Amino acid sequence: MKALRAWTEDRLGIRPVAAFLAKKEVPCHKHTVLYYTGSSILFFLGIQIVTGVLLALYYQPTLAEANASVVRIMTEMPLGWLIRSVHSWSATFMIALVFVHLMGIAFTKAYRKPREATWLTGVLLLGSSLAFGFTGYLLPWDELSLAATKVGTNLPKALPVIGTWLTRVMRAGDDVTGDTLTRFFIVHVSVLPLALLAILGVHVFLVQRHGMSVPLEAERDKIKLPWLPFWPNFLLREAGVWLVLLGVLLTVAVFLAPGIGPQADLMAPAPEGIKPEWYFLFMFQTLKLFPARILGLNGEMIAVMIMMAGMAAVLLLPFIDNRPLERKGKVITGLAWAGLAYAVGLSIWSLL
Amino acid sequence: MSGRGRLVAAAGILVLGFLLAVGLLEARVQEAAQASVKPAAAAPGPEKPAAVRPARERMAAYVILGWVWFSIGVLLWILRLRVREADRVHRMGWVRAGEAGPKRSEH
Amino acid sequence: MKLPASLFSRRAFLNGLIGGWLAALGSAFISPLLKYIVPPTPEPDQVTVPLADYKDMAPHTVKGFVWGNKPGLLQKTEAGEYVAFVGVCTHLDCNVSFVAEQRRFYCACHEGWYDENGLNVAGPPPSPLRRLSVSVEGDALIVKRPE
Repeated sequence: MKALRAWTEDRLGIRPVAAFLAKKEVPCHKHTVLYYTGSSILFFLGIQIVTGVLLALYYQPTLAEANASVVRIMTEMPLGWLIRSVHSWSATFMIALVFVHLMGIAFTKAYRKPREATWLTGVLLLGSSLAFGFTGYLLPWDELSLAATKVGTNLPKALPVIGTWLTRVMRAGDDVTGDTLTRFFIVHVSVLPLALLAILGVHVFLVQRHGMSVPLEAERDKIKLPWLPFWPNFLLREAGVWLVLLGVLLTVAVFLAPGIGPQADLMAPAPEGIKPEWYFLFMFQTLKLFPARILGLNGEMIAVMIMMAGMAAVLLLPFIDNRPLERKGKVITGLAWAGLAYAVGLSIWSLL
Repeated sequence: MSGRGRLVAAAGILVLGFLLAVGLLEARVQEAAQASVKPAAAAPGPEKPAAVRPARERMAAYVILGWVWFSIGVLLWILRLRVREADRVHRMGWVRAGEAGPKRSEH
Repeated sequence: MKLPASLFSRRAFLNGLIGGWLAALGSAFISPLLKYIVPPTPEPDQVTVPLADYKDMAPHTVKGFVWGNKPGLLQKTEAGEYVAFVGVCTHLDCNVSFVAEQRRFYCACHEGWYDENGLNVAGPPPSPLRRLSVSVEGDALIVKRPE
């Protein structure tokens, strides 16, 4: 064993990396529980990759076969329904944790200098995760997913200048067709995974580079907080968290396995009660609330532009909140709480 | 469980409850969608129920689930022992380095 | 028998226990996973084809039928009986064809030859073509796996 390690070390030379990780410290304070969110997201990402590959073994991304192949997976392949259920629920858990992670960083203002780049890559990762969810949702090619995709890909049209072109890029044309399905499939299994892994690499590197962020007060008052070694103390605790998450995921997957609707008919009228996945509900509801015309301008365009402004604000938050300890910082924290309340409130409203 | 732990658990259960509610509503909408399509078009094909679970496999799934939860319980117990060991070693290393550090790090 | 010192540390013991039980947990997933990854694709036990399609065959001619995922070859003999083969070369699984002028089966992949009775006569095939049993029942031909 020791000889193997020596052989590897001679060729890869990664002992400095291992030594660095061995010294990594995790500070203990009242927000330490938030440190568990990052690795939990990675845990669910791993599950997504494994179950995704398994599903892709039998899924056929063509207009004629997509729905039938999903039905085949669910009825003929051993525990295929469970693999699909795990993939679907793990997506939900992962995106939920991404939001919790984002909220935690935002409220503890961990994005402040020098971690702005970590925040930027993080927001890009949020975008990738949502894109994963959006593209994956179409793949079963049933009525609900077709309708949701038609609505979702219609949104960019509201943007001035590039809107129509953007919609045409997403749909592979003016309408949602079999080409859209193929396009969404390759984005979901190839383009997004490559992009996500690249951005994730930078994100994780930056996190190791800067170490764990501590609460504002501790940094301001230069308090040295009690700490735990990452290896093995904190990692063992993380392993416990992962186990519980695995149990909850499997339980939910077994008892609330998703079904599949009838094959999408491009000519049929939209079914009742269509709605996007839960993480898009607040945007969905916002669009429903906006009047068709505001001061003579297209209401939808105003809504989309406001949403884009919101996304830009989230992306550039570290640069906007450049004085976190002063009144400006407290105002921004208040706005963040308001934003959260808005998103949650509208999501619940859209379900009623 | 400490106050903080209770807060985390409560938040987790709330989020989970929300997601489960969405999941259940989604299942109901799928059934409604199939029902509303039936009169509109001439039966577009065999209908699938909201949850498709071959009967024989349902038992296998429950067995796997039971085994997973039992294993999680056992593993958490062993992990707790291992964490206590790691924390003990860490504290000893501290005390050896110098008396400045606080006596306990609990979280 | 009392040992003077522990065989291994508490840490190593607990690590081993964790690793071992994780392996046990993982093992529950291996069997279903393998079955999912390699689904059984059994050959059909029997296949029924309409006699009408094969009634007017001349002797020593061959016509195809579907045998699960493989091609089947139905041959009419001199006596007017039917004989069936699985049309897959026994060398490396290529589909074979029937060369009517020579009354032989031919595999183009490595130039293997089988005679009228499926016996491997030239080229690399190591064994004869697999035979299936044929029976006529009413207006249908039943092709079965031989017992």
